[in-house]
Amino acid sequence: MSQWLEQVIDSAQRDDYLSPVRQQALTQLKADGWPARRSESWRFTPLTPVEKREAKQAVQADSLPVPAIDNLNAIDLIFVDGVLVTQVNTLDVPAGMTITSLNTDDAATQQAISSVYGQVKPTRHMFGLVNDALCQHGIFINVEAGVKIDTPVRIVNMASQNVDAHTRVVVKVAEGASATVIEQGFGDTESLTTAFAEYDLADDAHLEHYRFAMFTDKAKQLGGSHFKLHNRTTLNSTMVGYGSELSRLDVDIHHAGEFADAKMNAIYLLAEGELFDLHSTIEHAMPNGTTEENARGIVGDKARAVFNGRIHIHRDAQKTLAELNNRNLLLSRRGVINTKPELEIYADDVKCAHGATVAEIEEEALYYMLTRGISRSKALVMLNFGFIQELINDVPSVAVREWIAPILSERFAQMEVK
Amino acid sequence: MLSIKNLHASVEEKNIIKGLNLEVKPGEVHAIMGPNGAGKSTLGYVLSGRDGYEVSEGEAMLNGKDLLELDVEERAREGLFLAFQYPVEIPGVSNMEFMKESVNAMREERGEEPLSAAEFLKKAKEACKQVQLPLDFLKRGVNEGFSGGEKKRNEIMQMILLEPKLCILDESDSGLDVDALQVVADGVNSQRDGERSFIVVTHYQRLLDYIKPDFVHILADGKIVKSGDASLALEVEKSGYAFLGKAYEEVEA
Repeated sequence: MSQWLEQVIDSAQRDDYLSPVRQQALTQLKADGWPARRSESWRFTPLTPVEKREAKQAVQADSLPVPAIDNLNAIDLIFVDGVLVTQVNTLDVPAGMTITSLNTDDAATQQAISSVYGQVKPTRHMFGLVNDALCQHGIFINVEAGVKIDTPVRIVNMASQNVDAHTRVVVKVAEGASATVIEQGFGDTESLTTAFAEYDLADDAHLEHYRFAMFTDKAKQLGGSHFKLHNRTTLNSTMVGYGSELSRLDVDIHHAGEFADAKMNAIYLLAEGELFDLHSTIEHAMPNGTTEENARGIVGDKARAVFNGRIHIHRDAQKTLAELNNRNLLLSRRGVINTKPELEIYADDVKCAHGATVAEIEEEALYYMLTRGISRSKALVMLNFGFIQELINDVPSVAVREWIAPILSERFAQMEVK
Repeated sequence: MLSIKNLHASVEEKNIIKGLNLEVKPGEVHAIMGPNGAGKSTLGYVLSGRDGYEVSEGEAMLNGKDLLELDVEERAREGLFLAFQYPVEIPGVSNMEFMKESVNAMREERGEEPLSAAEFLKKAKEACKQVQLPLDFLKRGVNEGFSGGEKKRNEIMQMILLEPKLCILDESDSGLDVDALQVVADGVNSQRDGERSFIVVTHYQRLLDYIKPDFVHILADGKIVKSGDASLALEVEKSGYAFLGKAYEEVEA
């Protein structure tokens, strides 16, 4: 057992309406213990940066300025070091949507939260269990049936100190409603952040989702976004990952109804020495669902990307259409990519495809471009950024696209080819 | 314009250029001929700064600047242009985007404003017509799926757009039929303005019927072994490289 996990278990004494879930999580954490080295789930991602860490949460935090996304006009919810610093009750929220703190006294709201909290996220994610048990601050977003919310909700996780931050987002989008939620995390200090979000999307609901997991340097981020889709639910999710000392994102999409469509695009750009691990699991439990998942990344010198993409098609999930593709570019022989697309199919009438590729810099094409006076960094972007640009072009929100495009091309231009 | 003195260069520790001297003055056209393996293409790669081509001795100055000290793209911006023998295919990058980026890199070097998309399109269309390529070649991936002749014409189109000071044409005639040869030669001749210099590397005298050289040099075993006027090319055409004697035999062996 790690020192950190022992401290986590000892500190998790809290009595509230979520206690049953917290208790269950603790019981499982105690039973499972610390993952063995090379355990399947952490095979390529060593947990050593957390193992002997001091488990300590911030009691309070100061509000910090958050860089805006131009023209997005979002409702911003800000966590600093795990503490919700936004006054949720003073927000101007469109009719048909409510945003509340998880620390609510209202019995009906508590009931709504309990129907999602720990119910969408599978219990196999260790840090998800830690989050279940230790999360002090969280947000509940509820969209009423038939209401289309145009205003995006942006949830920002900032890490500024050397503490553990556990934040939770719970979202319910009712029948025929639609919403846009952006999860954004960043920080470069010796912090540890577990940020988990659960989305319960009812029949005919639509969610436009973003997760920007942009922690860097010494930060440790262990998070997840988990979705439950029902009949005809549509999900369009875009994720961007940077790497840090330890960075892991778990995504689960559960087709619990028929004719649901899930689309997920993930981009990761890893600078020198960074680690980023994306595990996604798509469960097709019901017929006629579709999944389209594209994960594409560029891995710099001594950096490591881990991609594990699993699509599980249950016996009853006939007529499923599922595609999973992972493309990578290595900028250095010392970069590492561990990619594992997995298709597990138990239904006999489905269309599925999966693939993974790893490419290297094409020296001849680069030389050709240089002889035409094009700068090295520009040539590299033109040659190698196209497959990332395709996913950027696919970002549904114009404001988000215009915000993220230069950030990513700039990050890439600064990555060195070795 | 270009001054090469006692240049020695190697590839993978094999000496290819062994003490080459060449002076090219503004407006001059120099043809370099020679048997296979003499180092003709290597010269272009060394001057352009390709990775893996090591210079062990000598110097190469372009308009007073030490070329060998510059990065590949800096040499290009100083006005050096290499038309490739085998132009590289770059799927995913459009010809248009590629050329616009390079033209604007040159403009930036000269302290000029970048061309707008519309301004560039106009120039590109003119150049495209001049080398008789269909306009949709601008939209296609760089050299992607082009025939050998189309690639060569695409090189000349780039040369026209980039307005270099010194052009090295590496076997721009190889694989061309007579009509295509005429197009390439016309493209080159249209750029002769008394200032711009050319080094025309070729196997065959044929190209020199279309592009009249001021000087012809024979490159063998990494050195220029004979120089003369256009009549030297005719001599080579008639009697081959036998006059090279021992040096030539070594190269062929």
